[in-house]
Amino acid sequence: MAVSQRNFIKLLKLTNLRQSSTAAQAMPVHEDIHQSFRTREDNPEYHGMQHINRIYTIPNNDLKMITCQGLITMYMKQFKTFAEASILVRKPAVEIISYLNQADYSKPVNKYVLYGEDGTGKTSTMLHTLHYAYTKGQIIVHVPWIRSWFDGPKETANSITKTNKIDLPFHAAAWLRNFKTQNQHILNKADIKLSATHEWSATENSAKDSSLMDMIDFGISRIKFASNVIIKLMSELKQASTSGKCKVLVAIDGYNALFSQQTNIFNDNKQMVPASQVSLTEAFLDITKSDWCNGQVIVTVDKMATKENAESHFPRYLLTNEGFDHLDPFLPISVENYTEDEFNTVIEYYKNRKWIRNLSSDGQKELQLLSGGNPYKLMEYCKHL
Amino acid sequence: MTSLQKLTTLARLLSLRQQSRTELVNATRNYSVFNPTYVKPVFRPEEQEALDQEEELKALSLLPIKPAFTDDTSSEFYDKQVNKFINFLMREGKKETARKALENTFENIKRIQLEKYNKATDPAEKEKIELDPRAILRQAIENSTPVLELLKMKKGGQTYQVINDTFHIQFEKLADDALFCCIKVPVPLTEKRAQFLGMNWLIQAGKDKQMKVHLSEKLAHELIDAANNEGRVIKKKQELYRQCEANRSYAHFRWF
Repeated sequence: MAVSQRNFIKLLKLTNLRQSSTAAQAMPVHEDIHQSFRTREDNPEYHGMQHINRIYTIPNNDLKMITCQGLITMYMKQFKTFAEASILVRKPAVEIISYLNQADYSKPVNKYVLYGEDGTGKTSTMLHTLHYAYTKGQIIVHVPWIRSWFDGPKETANSITKTNKIDLPFHAAAWLRNFKTQNQHILNKADIKLSATHEWSATENSAKDSSLMDMIDFGISRIKFASNVIIKLMSELKQASTSGKCKVLVAIDGYNALFSQQTNIFNDNKQMVPASQVSLTEAFLDITKSDWCNGQVIVTVDKMATKENAESHFPRYLLTNEGFDHLDPFLPISVENYTEDEFNTVIEYYKNRKWIRNLSSDGQKELQLLSGGNPYKLMEYCKHL
Repeated sequence: MTSLQKLTTLARLLSLRQQSRTELVNATRNYSVFNPTYVKPVFRPEEQEALDQEEELKALSLLPIKPAFTDDTSSEFYDKQVNKFINFLMREGKKETARKALENTFENIKRIQLEKYNKATDPAEKEKIELDPRAILRQAIENSTPVLELLKMKKGGQTYQVINDTFHIQFEKLADDALFCCIKVPVPLTEKRAQFLGMNWLIQAGKDKQMKVHLSEKLAHELIDAANNEGRVIKKKQELYRQCEANRSYAHFRWF
């Protein structure tokens, strides 16, 4: 069929010539491509020096599982406002992750102590490593802030098994419940059995070779025994991981609270009880010993973790002699203020999230000088801008 | 000045001096520490630049200058109106507390607005959402500032006097209170008084809350509402205008 010249031109006009031609065509560019401050690598296992100073986003499902034990309100607020949970990939986190990747798990556990001035990002670094442990399918033993137990416990009770010890039944049961939701999928798969019979009272006991989950459920339903269940749970976890059934990551924030002399807990004589006399302390001291393997221990020491006045932020001072001897040998990892690159990245991120707008270079300089590159202070100064 | 005037001023000064001597026990120095020759400091960089361009800076540099107040900063984030609002918010001279309360309010405003922003899917709708808390405060004050006010006035006695002093109407004490009934006269406001009323209504609305709720939370909502021309403060202003409209027949009393 012959097409006249006129009709052919009409046809050309109707069809989109651009699509049939080989010329380069403008494509709608996704916004994310321009965001050089972000990294798309959301698996912390692969985070290395190439991702440093970039911001990575924790997937929502992962965040839910990581923060089962709760997180400082400040973080949750910020994640909600920004509609995503993003943290900066920083040197200490990458350092720990590289150690975790290369460690020999047949040797006794390595202990890492995060230390630094207030608000430098110890908890963020810990959150990063928690995400690592979650993606690796490890059992997470996480305490978000130990001091919250000692500061104003809801209820205290004298321990049934040990004299002079105080139980915190509510806190213990809550911790157990969160531990269960956080690690249920791994515990069910690993199918850990108890190595010995644990007797709770004259009528109640957890028999040998019964499931570990049953013991946890028992602790949750009978909160009177929850503290004791946690103590036994720690020893069972240690044995299970030593025998290779599971890997455990212990992450404790404000670890030096376990060695504090001042708490808000009082005994029957209305005398203040030091942290060492609280039964929960025993459990978390036990799991940070070096007598087990196939796991890792990450703790932070914090000036604000105890009621006592702290003059220095170094682990040698904060852990006191007792704590230092208990934790030794450990690897101290310093968390410091933002470098200039990190600072710029965070400002870029804040601008992207509309947290700050219309910030001139002078304003940025002012923020840098005011905050001194301290992450918490920067956040505080940006709050009202 | 005539000699008579000089004498009278001298006599008044002397009487004042006697008065102050009698009250020496609890004497406070209410006068400025600085000589009147001292000039006010210019602390904003843009004002300094303008002075420099007009070559007034050199003359100013030779004059004695008062020290700047602690909240007078050359910071980029300085805002005169925000400072004023903080001063109105302040109680018992606790400026730091007031400042923190307003900063927290700004934070809450940002969080509320950002949540709306993130929820909105339409880009045109997103653009409409104001995210700057200072802009919201400015808009809220502008919207809630009244133009008129009602002044109470006693009428019906034999002696009454209205002193019209640039719209500030004062009434002298009247002889026999029992005879008078109150009427309300609509009066235009000075800029200063209008700003005071607008800001104070916002603060009052922020303080009208339950004990458990923080001021910063309530105030944030009130400011956002007022910026959108809705809410209690705007209603209060409209109610006042309605009353002014009803009392318009008394308006002439302010010229007495």
